[in-house]
Amino acid sequence: MEEILIEVKGLKKGYKKRKTKEWVQAVNDVNFTVKRGEILGLLGPNGAGKTTTIKMICGLIVPDEGEVVINGITMQKNRLKGLEHISAVLEGNRNLYWRLTARENLEYFAGNRGNSRKEKASEIEELLHEFKLKQKENELVSNLSRGMQQKLALAVALLADSDVILLDEPTLGLDIETGYEVRQLLKKISEAGKTIIISTHDMPVVQDLCERTVIINDGKVIADEKVEELMNLFETSAYVLTLGNELTEQQQKELDVKFPMNELLDGMKLTITLEQDNDIYDLMDLLKKENTIIEKIDRTTINFEEVFMNLIQEEKNHAIHSIN
Amino acid sequence: MPFIQLIKANTRMEFIEMKRYLPNTLSMIATIYIIFLGMLLGINVIGDPAQAEANIQHVIVNYIFWYLTLVTLTNIGFTITMEATRGTLEQLYMSPLGMWKILLSRLIGYMALHGVIVVGLLYLSMATANQWLYLKPDLTLTILLITLVGIVGVGFMIAGASVIFKQIQAFMQILQFILAALAFVPLSVAPILILAPFVKGVDMIRHVMIQGYSWTDFTAMDYTALIVNSVVYLFIGIFFYLKCEKIAMSRGLLGNY
Ligand SMILES: Nc1ncnc2c1ncn2[C@@H]1O[C@H](COP(=O)(O)OP(=O)(O)OP(=O)(O)O)[C@@H](O)[C@H]1O
Ligand SMILES: [Mg+2]
Repeated sequence: MEEILIEVKGLKKGYKKRKTKEWVQAVNDVNFTVKRGEILGLLGPNGAGKTTTIKMICGLIVPDEGEVVINGITMQKNRLKGLEHISAVLEGNRNLYWRLTARENLEYFAGNRGNSRKEKASEIEELLHEFKLKQKENELVSNLSRGMQQKLALAVALLADSDVILLDEPTLGLDIETGYEVRQLLKKISEAGKTIIISTHDMPVVQDLCERTVIINDGKVIADEKVEELMNLFETSAYVLTLGNELTEQQQKELDVKFPMNELLDGMKLTITLEQDNDIYDLMDLLKKENTIIEKIDRTTINFEEVFMNLIQEEKNHAIHSIN
Repeated sequence: MPFIQLIKANTRMEFIEMKRYLPNTLSMIATIYIIFLGMLLGINVIGDPAQAEANIQHVIVNYIFWYLTLVTLTNIGFTITMEATRGTLEQLYMSPLGMWKILLSRLIGYMALHGVIVVGLLYLSMATANQWLYLKPDLTLTILLITLVGIVGVGFMIAGASVIFKQIQAFMQILQFILAALAFVPLSVAPILILAPFVKGVDMIRHVMIQGYSWTDFTAMDYTALIVNSVVYLFIGIFFYLKCEKIAMSRGLLGNY
């Protein structure tokens, strides 16, 4: 039942920057697996190596080390065979022919995978309806809104009938409404049993869609966990303290050093995330020193964005500690 | 047959582009028509008609040869450059049928459409000028097609360079120049050029046009040289292209980083 469809093993990739000639280790030993039918969120700050990882999975970039196995096929050995199982949207609306119509794009890309127009006619019809593009099917892509273009790119990928769909930032540049619409479509697609990897900055995408997330930073995996578990983990260590009087400057400084993940609202409402449960005593000591009154302590509800920021922050602190 | 679908889809794409950019297409058609007509009417103006006809035939056929060769040569590389700037290049590389087959299909579609237009225009201008050239279409077309197969190989080499360097316009211009020069050097002057692409084909055409050669006037050696040259260039070209593709993939050059 729990069949592993994608195995990413020890991927490494470095680039030589064209201008400065300096070496960038974009991906540095990335490992993870994806089960059939799973939606995996690939997260990380700018330049973390998400796009490079995705492109190595679909064989557009050859890794320096490591390999990707999809459905038993090693991409680095048998790329074309592997591609039968993969489709991708890598640059959103730029992945389309703007001088062709919506329908012509679908037909052209189907042809490029060896399918005739006749074979795909009913599927194209369905997709146009489902993606609410039917009325615009004969419109040039250049005349479509960004949201429609993005949806069309997704439809093109879906038409390939592949087991795996790779999406690099599928909601980039969309307004709230279209972003929502694309999320709903993705949800539907996932329910149809596709295996999906989404790289994104868009936290609602992760919260709404992904069961699991792999977070990469500086080319390394720093978390590979169920979204729910990550949320629980951080939920229990995040508090909101309502204070009776304002903190002194000295206290604030100490606070920033000891608990970098803190936020003070109106000088009286302190949101703080603790790395270890015991840290709560240190916090109490810090407040007691200046006789700060604590009126209330609450557990916060945390959203995934905060979880993500906390993880990245922790990683940075560790890096600093290990240098010292 | 997936490859047939590939050719269909890509020919259709080229056809749609021609239709959608009709002004461009029409001005291209008008230009070629005027050039043909000019050449044909030239026969009447310059000197002894009996002599001139053979010459003008040669000039026209050479022109068609040069034109189709140039298109074949630059089309694949140009496709890559275009697709890279549009952002669709990587999508093409996602096809399980392989990029080189897509490029070949694009070229076949483009050449089929252009070939029909050029040949059609030639007959149209002959009708307009009421100057009927004796073209031996069976022989010339065969030589032309075999020669073009070799040119496709050279086109793939240029495509390989395009995948890595993206901008190769300057290089293409030099190449056009070399090509034009090659078209004018008779093989008897520099026999080594038989190893170059395209030269043997042009030389045979020259014999057909000026010396009035027919199928049987060429030796088996002539045909063998023509075919072997083309096939070898085709294979070397595709091989070279695939090598360049590998390099581009390991340096991450396919995307628009
Ligand atoms: N083709 C390339 N040539 C040189 N350097 C590259 C290339 N592609 C990526 N890089 C560098 O590699 C690192 C990782 O880039 P990558 O695009 O994989 O990150 P990302 O996580 O997708 O970032 P973003 O969120 O900005 O899309 C960055 O430092 C980037 O500058
Ligand atoms: Mg990216």
